[in-house]
Amino acid sequence: MTQFGTWQPKIRGKLFYNWPQGACEEALRFTSAGQLGGEPYDVVIVGAGVVGCGLAYRLSQYDLRVLLVDRLHDVGEGTSKANSALIHSGYDAKPGSLESKLLHEAEADWPGLAARLKIPLDPIGGIMMAVTDEQERQLEAAEKNAHANRAIDVRILSAAEIREREPNASPDVRGGLLVPSESLVDPFMASIAYAEIALANGVDILLGADIAGVELGQPPGAPLHHLVTADGPRLPARRIVNAAGLGSRRLADGYGGGAFDINPRRGQFLLFDKSARPLVQHILLPVPTAHTKGVLVAPTIFGNLLAGPTAEDLPLNDPAATHTTVEGIRRVLEGGSRLVDGLARQPVIATYAGARCACSQGSYVIRHNDGAPGIVTITGVRSTGLTASISLARHLIDGMQKELGLELSPDSAALDSRPDSAWPGWWRRPFENGATDARADHGCAVCFCEVISGGEIRAALDSPLKPRTMDALKRRTRVLSGRCQGFDCQVSLAEIVSGHTGIGMAQLTKNGPGSELVAPGQAEFTA
Amino acid sequence: MSGGQHFKVAIIGGGPAGIGVAVGLAKRGIGPVVLIERRAGVGGTPMGYRKKPGGVPTFVEWTRGRVVFGEELAGRMAKRLAKTDTTIRLSAQVTQIDPAEKRLTLLGREGVCDVTADAVVLAAGAREQTPAEKGWLAGARTARIGFTRHITGWLDGHGLLPARKPVVVGSDLIAYSVAAKLRAAGSDEPVMIDRRRSPSAGLFERLFFRRWTRPDWSGDVTAAGIKGDRSAAGVQSSDGQDWHGDGVMICGELVPNTELALLGGLAVELPSRQLQLARGQALSEPGWFAAGNVLGGFHGAQWCYFNGRQAARRVANFLK
Repeated sequence: MTQFGTWQPKIRGKLFYNWPQGACEEALRFTSAGQLGGEPYDVVIVGAGVVGCGLAYRLSQYDLRVLLVDRLHDVGEGTSKANSALIHSGYDAKPGSLESKLLHEAEADWPGLAARLKIPLDPIGGIMMAVTDEQERQLEAAEKNAHANRAIDVRILSAAEIREREPNASPDVRGGLLVPSESLVDPFMASIAYAEIALANGVDILLGADIAGVELGQPPGAPLHHLVTADGPRLPARRIVNAAGLGSRRLADGYGGGAFDINPRRGQFLLFDKSARPLVQHILLPVPTAHTKGVLVAPTIFGNLLAGPTAEDLPLNDPAATHTTVEGIRRVLEGGSRLVDGLARQPVIATYAGARCACSQGSYVIRHNDGAPGIVTITGVRSTGLTASISLARHLIDGMQKELGLELSPDSAALDSRPDSAWPGWWRRPFENGATDARADHGCAVCFCEVISGGEIRAALDSPLKPRTMDALKRRTRVLSGRCQGFDCQVSLAEIVSGHTGIGMAQLTKNGPGSELVAPGQAEFTA
Repeated sequence: MSGGQHFKVAIIGGGPAGIGVAVGLAKRGIGPVVLIERRAGVGGTPMGYRKKPGGVPTFVEWTRGRVVFGEELAGRMAKRLAKTDTTIRLSAQVTQIDPAEKRLTLLGREGVCDVTADAVVLAAGAREQTPAEKGWLAGARTARIGFTRHITGWLDGHGLLPARKPVVVGSDLIAYSVAAKLRAAGSDEPVMIDRRRSPSAGLFERLFFRRWTRPDWSGDVTAAGIKGDRSAAGVQSSDGQDWHGDGVMICGELVPNTELALLGGLAVELPSRQLQLARGQALSEPGWFAAGNVLGGFHGAQWCYFNGRQAARRVANFLK
């Protein structure tokens, strides 16, 4: 019998948290490089976003010693966590570009990938909506561009055809473009599933470790480099992949990587209550302008409705890159209302902002032997990274074979899927479809909005990546993500986590050190 | 779906209002009645307010000339409920309603089951508005952005101070009681900000809390953002005012818990989420009623209890 939301495979990789004081168990705590074994790694991937995790997953299919390292305390926690949660068909990419090629390949991958890795996916399709005469005139060119991108099922719809499909479409709609293969996806589960399989197949994962510098080995041959963590331990690496997203510039400075400029492009989003979901049947896209793709309105796979993003370029290291603004939210609501009638009266439950990694040198910048032999830089992966993560991983591995002399021999014992029990609980509810294998505590909701039980939270805590922060649990179970935004469940959730892991209530964090849930430095006394 | 237990009346929510309904129905000899509560015990929000030596008397009522704490008051109500024949389903959440059939789908320890009734009373209470719902407060999504329920949960439940330098957002009675509670537990004097020009708590209420707190008040905040990287570092307004702190408490301005009504197709105003009443406490579908803070506004435990009693009278008339 399987249990919901759990997956406890034989794990061949090591998992550590660099978490000096506090909020994880001793057995998970990283204190010295010796814990990872003395042998240098064949590949160290810096950055456990969707790009790094996807690469780790693909590399785990081969007989290689691989380490995935990130400065944050969960996978997929940076740029990968706040986006529009869509799989793009690439119909609007620049034909002939690497992005177009990767998106076209990924489109064929996704249905099978999602089924194997248990990533919730819903191919509901998209409609690009023209709401002015000028936009209507652009539709033909957009259709041509889509066909040049091999998105042959894209076609023009009349205003009447749109209204038939979308009764709540704006009365201004002039026509549109049907994009059948746009899909909704659980954006968090992609990074998590990639990383869980990689870990099971023997990839080591080190979270919470900031890479402060790189000690380059001396040629000739394949030199042995060392990544130096902020706390001292040195990680030996024959090859390094810089997939650090918005941290890629700083890391590249450590190894003398070539010139590129990145900055966070902030995207603010509005999330509506599940009661607003029936308003819209497809992913509704605006006609893009020269500057931005514009504000879309789309359901989420979780059953909410979403509008966004804005596109605001901010300087690197600006903490405001993930902050929302009253003005930005107003603009999103305005933009969304141009596509959907009655959007403004729908109840909003949350606002959030994500930072895309915008690069002046273009998107999908890949450099081999950058600064030193054995180093690959991948940066400028902007809004299509989630979609392209799988094809990009293959592309990167091809490049490493050709340019870095990486030798690949398949690992016959490697897993390439997760079992059915790994479907997240919210996607396949306990007790549904006559399931009889749910534990008693699955029936007792902790999070009332999303109806998440204590059993599902405990199962998530025991899952391969041992999530230990509230945000990590939120991405796995949907707890704290409902209309009350944690009003009802924050403290009872903390009690469950503390009780299950033995971590003190005062030590629990939202997303790692510095994000304690209560004023730091307190000892708990029992009431 | 068919089957499931049938009751004369089903009550959704076991706080003061729901208890009031159950007690009122029992006095009229109406039964069988089921009361469904999603938490592990009845009593509702006041149960979280514990009496502590030197503590701030929040969620109090003055009954028979004596101050009664939330926990004690809710406890008394629970005792009155226990004397009735009401079937009480704890740790059971209504996940779906069918208004026309008066059918409720329940998720509980034993799994999913259905309950039907001749009349249903929604007594699901209210919650505090989130920053997004306020519309004028944006910014960072960090740790230590909390609601009143978190403050009582951490402080009364675990003896942990949610913030040492709190910024309280809101200015009603709840906001003042939070400021007082934090101050009494050892925080610095809280900063209090709101969109309103002057605090929404009345003069008498403000004077009452002066024994514990004289919050540093700023009104007329029209657009602001929460500051901070990993945890809240205060609030900054768009016109340059800056309130420093190590936690932001979002207090008061209740939103009724009408999601079941909304998702089930009963008439609900949007985006305010207020129930649309046919008349009195009757909802848009015959046989559906509401009691307590789910009707909107902010009322104390006693008001909710008596409002529940009143709903029971209306239910009795409907069933006649």
